Amino acid sequence: MAIIERPVDTPALAPEGGPSVVATPSTSFGYFRRPVETTGWRAWAFTVDHKKIGIMYGVVAMAFFVVGGLEAGLIRAQLAQADGTILSADKYNQMFTMHATTMVFLFVMPMAAAFANYMIPLQIGARDVAFPRLNALSLWTFVCGGIFINTSWFLGGGADGGWFMYAPNSDTPFSPSDGVNFWTLGLLITGVASLVGAVNLIVTVINMRAPGMSLMRMPIFTWMALVTQFLLLFAMPVITVALFLLLFQRNYGATFFSVADGADPLLWQHLFWIFGHPEVYIIVLPAFGIVSEVLPVFSRKPLFGYPFVVFSGAAIGFVGWGVWAHHMFASGLGPISVSVFAVATMAIAIPTGVKIVNWTLTMWGGKLKFTTAMLFAIGLIIEFTIGGLSGVTHSVAPSDTQQTDTYYIVAHFHYVIFGGGVLGLFAGLYYWWPKVFGKMLSEKIGKANFWFMIIGMNMTFGPMHILGLQGQPRRMYRWTDARAGEGFFNLGFWNLVSSIGTLVLMFGVLLFFVNVWVTRKAPPAPVDPWDARSLEWITTSPPKAHNFDRTPTVHALDEFFHRKYEDVGTGDHHEYKQVMTGEEVVNEEIAHADAHIHLPSPSYWPLILALSMPIMAYGVIYHTLLIVVGGAMAVGSMFGWALEPSTAPDSDFDPPADGTPSKEVALHV
Amino acid sequence: MSDATLTEPGTDPEFIDETAIVESTVGTAYDGTDEEVVDHLGHAHHTSTGLSNTKLAMWLFLGSECLLFGGLIATYMLYRNRQGDAIGPDQLWDIPFTSASSFCLLMSSLTMVLAVSAAKRNDERNTRLWLIATASLGGLFVAGQVYEFTTFYREGLGYTTSLFSSSFYTLTGFHGVHVSVGIVMLMALMFMLLRRRVTGDKAETVEMIGLYWHFVDIVWIIIFTLVYLIPA
Amino acid sequence: MIRGGGVAAAVLLSLAVAGCAKDAPQDTFQPAGPNAQKIQNLQVPVFAIAGVVGLIVFAAVGFIVWRFRDRGQAIPEQTHGKPALEIGLTILPALILIGVAIPTVSTVMALNKTSDTECIINVTGQQWWWEVDYPVQEGCGGISDVIVTSGQMVIPVDTPVLVRGTSRDVIHSWWIPKLNGKRDMVPGRVQTNRIQADEPGIYAGQCTEFCGLSHANMRMEVIAMTPEDFEAWKANQLEAYVAPEDGTVAAAGQAEFISQCSRCHQVDGLEDADGEPIVSRPDVYIYSGAAPNLTNLMTRNTFAGATFDLLLPECRSEVWNAPPDEVGPAYLEGVTPECLNSVDLRDWLRNAPAMKPMYADPEKLEDTDGMYRGMPYLALSEDQIDLLVAYLLERK
Repeated sequence: MAIIERPVDTPALAPEGGPSVVATPSTSFGYFRRPVETTGWRAWAFTVDHKKIGIMYGVVAMAFFVVGGLEAGLIRAQLAQADGTILSADKYNQMFTMHATTMVFLFVMPMAAAFANYMIPLQIGARDVAFPRLNALSLWTFVCGGIFINTSWFLGGGADGGWFMYAPNSDTPFSPSDGVNFWTLGLLITGVASLVGAVNLIVTVINMRAPGMSLMRMPIFTWMALVTQFLLLFAMPVITVALFLLLFQRNYGATFFSVADGADPLLWQHLFWIFGHPEVYIIVLPAFGIVSEVLPVFSRKPLFGYPFVVFSGAAIGFVGWGVWAHHMFASGLGPISVSVFAVATMAIAIPTGVKIVNWTLTMWGGKLKFTTAMLFAIGLIIEFTIGGLSGVTHSVAPSDTQQTDTYYIVAHFHYVIFGGGVLGLFAGLYYWWPKVFGKMLSEKIGKANFWFMIIGMNMTFGPMHILGLQGQPRRMYRWTDARAGEGFFNLGFWNLVSSIGTLVLMFGVLLFFVNVWVTRKAPPAPVDPWDARSLEWITTSPPKAHNFDRTPTVHALDEFFHRKYEDVGTGDHHEYKQVMTGEEVVNEEIAHADAHIHLPSPSYWPLILALSMPIMAYGVIYHTLLIVVGGAMAVGSMFGWALEPSTAPDSDFDPPADGTPSKEVALHV
Repeated sequence: MSDATLTEPGTDPEFIDETAIVESTVGTAYDGTDEEVVDHLGHAHHTSTGLSNTKLAMWLFLGSECLLFGGLIATYMLYRNRQGDAIGPDQLWDIPFTSASSFCLLMSSLTMVLAVSAAKRNDERNTRLWLIATASLGGLFVAGQVYEFTTFYREGLGYTTSLFSSSFYTLTGFHGVHVSVGIVMLMALMFMLLRRRVTGDKAETVEMIGLYWHFVDIVWIIIFTLVYLIPA
Repeated sequence: MIRGGGVAAAVLLSLAVAGCAKDAPQDTFQPAGPNAQKIQNLQVPVFAIAGVVGLIVFAAVGFIVWRFRDRGQAIPEQTHGKPALEIGLTILPALILIGVAIPTVSTVMALNKTSDTECIINVTGQQWWWEVDYPVQEGCGGISDVIVTSGQMVIPVDTPVLVRGTSRDVIHSWWIPKLNGKRDMVPGRVQTNRIQADEPGIYAGQCTEFCGLSHANMRMEVIAMTPEDFEAWKANQLEAYVAPEDGTVAAAGQAEFISQCSRCHQVDGLEDADGEPIVSRPDVYIYSGAAPNLTNLMTRNTFAGATFDLLLPECRSEVWNAPPDEVGPAYLEGVTPECLNSVDLRDWLRNAPAMKPMYADPEKLEDTDGMYRGMPYLALSEDQIDLLVAYLLERK
């Protein structure tokens, strides 16, 4: 190993009060000096700060949201009329496959990861996640995987087998382009991101809670994110197996799904859905966590039945493993299996219903303030209820054999994923925007954003119920007048409504970006703009690099609320009186700042290790040499990583002495 | 992303905290007082649960790995009899040979335990020694697997010969790669100990790689039983 | 306020439940036989319950949103929950779901029964059409020799039919919404689907498991007719081959067919110049190993995966919209020269891949060992097409 040793010469102490002090570590523990920049792109590329990583997760996810949305737009443009000609059959098949893949793996999951990354350490009173460099690795792996999958558009076309890529239709003779290879390898790469992130966040939640933060005092979003990470932890390896089998089948001549060689194509379906069903909860549980934060704040009441919400989340997490075959009711599993899975599926509706009941009762008796975040949260209750109920109709297996693989199920899962997932994520964006960026989004544009999105989504996905019940199958690049019927429920009218709805929805989403642009120079937001309840607000907005000046000590669920308000009632009569403003609470923390804070130091290795993965993946598709290059990069960066301490010993982070706004990296020699 | 005002200077040049690893960022276990609990390099175990972060992470990772091998084993069990007219397990298995190489791997778990215990005693010499022993036994196992694969190949069992062969090679291959990665980690750890370049708690690092090693061992016991011992 | 969209959707949903669209051939709420009726009996109450539960939730949320809006009231009581209420609201849906689960399981069992059917018909899916064959049996009123057809399945009414299906390449799904739910047809497996029609009629369906490029163009129909008509149909299918009279256009068409089409398409009874039967070898040229049997092409009224009509629109309407007692006779007339949709048929012969996307580019067949998926472009001249159409018109 060629480790470049740097002489142990001693750099001068950083000059005090400089606008931005760049420290040079005195020793090197890798091939290179480790990065130290606190400004510019390097500060982002090599950061291990969970907040910067969270923001980057969010930005990239939003970019993929736009990509996936444009793909959806093309799909709906094609289907607006009978015998659409905007896309060829081949392009259309790629479009719906990549739309689903992008939205599920490259938007909703990473967007949830963005919130989890940013909020979990703040909500549990930690300075960062347990493994900051692994966190950076998760981010960059996801980015590399996402871009890798999308490069297939320019290299012979995207995957065209539908997002669940049923075998044997995904095999080379049936899908001869490299699209499926890109898809397989890309998902393997993003799978690494999810797995690493899951391990990291679970350890963070379990081990890094602030004093007094018992599990049942954890903010509900952290809880739901924790359940999500466990689902990821156990679901990712299953899809990994399936993806490897497919990869070996397509590229190395294995026959795992070739019927001619005696294979059983249903193996793929089982492996995929054992991953795929927990995946549904991976998508919605973080959003459930977000609305469970937003509703109490704007109802000015605690979450109704907090333990029930926690346990129903965990129950969903468990039962979610026993229902995968309800995606296969038409596959011919045999009546016994079908019955068992149908009943299990109905059972999972119960904890899901518990959540809706608790959200509703949280608002009951409250003092509701209809901010944009609150509107999105209420919207989620309504829209997800529709998706949940159409889910119950699907659990009735015989009825499912009529509705599965029609537009009815497309409607169902969009109400679940968009209604139950994306609306929650938008609630989170509006709610936490001032926390993350220190300025408010415009409520006026926000409300327009909400209404266009909610009307748009109901116009787009609502008619799909009708289309499906009228027998329009999904994944058809064209539909024909011959089977459109007449009268009120004819396919032509409702397909058109759905396509117009897409435009409304797109305009709604556009308003969000407009909002971000318009408010980019807004004045600083108040410390506690919403009269919030949980720990992440007991610090400045945006939080400092070290999150909390003093590690908070937690005495209750809704810690922040209880610091601001006191119960002045007697006996059974409760009456709350404000004793401190949010600002005062935060200032008190600042006044008692910890003397020494150690933050993990930036590192090159996560980025380099992440970059090695798509290189290897291109190697699988194009040339073995690239596998060798990527592999060497991966091994090299792992060694560099292992030899580099997480925190450079000479880069203690101390609060600036003179109150300057800049960060100061003091050097102890 | 600038910081707001900080009022407390709090810089004390005398107070140099050596904390280097991630635990330093943790909120400490609540001990009922507001006193600052200071972490020190080498025994940074102040986590909410008292479990070390790295060990917990390794356990979680291994939990995930269970599902990976679960999927691969399920695939093999589904396809174990599907070799068509091609050569099948009955004509291939050399149980005494595989038992011997399995024995090597099992023994390596023992040497791994000895390495961990030496590391806990801070006995660096023996730690390195047992690490080398573990890696060597693992190496013997991998060598045995390579020999076995070559023999099978010569007897007509290519990777693409049949469903049985593909799933067999995939399952055992994945396991072999895991053992190989373990060997690389053991050797790297050995050299890092030698050159004093381990960045965290030494005993814990050894223990963590030990966990991985034992896991890979246990998986082999399952694979050996299901693939070789129980007749198809 | 927020509930607006939701309520609208719920109302539409319940209207859809009522399922009253005219002539929606694949409406899932218009059963036309006992199997689909069993599903209907289950899904109508379930949809209704779901609708009612939905309306209750919307109403509750709507009421709360209005009633508890911020009107300057004091900080509300910080209730953390009422376990009794919580448990009650957990048990209630559980009870409803038990009520749904029991009939669900019994319907699943009933729909999977195979022992009480009286007629067995095989379907085989391949990219992108269905082959239908009637094995020799005593069922179906007795079938003395195998009947092979494609795209359209003819069944007698009031007879429980067992469809046994598989696939030759990827997974397809057999679905005639008015007769039963769908069932995936998986290569290497034989799966079953019960169908039974109460009335004569043409029941449309579509492949519903994504099966590649032309998935959208893989349709099928079931034609139910009275047992008498069905007997007539069987007899016609089993009639011996009648070669075109020498010297006619059709006779020239037969020669053309033998040279251009018979490699893949079987016409039973066709003989070469030496009097040897001509056996097609689609397994050599087509990746799935099959091509539609054209022996009685003109007794069907659709072609190419039931994607295109063999009948002109007005003739088609006469058959498809015939009252139940006239469907059988109308269908049995087959395709007459006046009714032939020669435009689509000629287009198809001219350049099939242009009409229906298929992997038919000879340059790009590496992955399928040079075999086609679907019908290739044959570079036929207009004269050749004339001859072939004349020949095909007699295939009934």
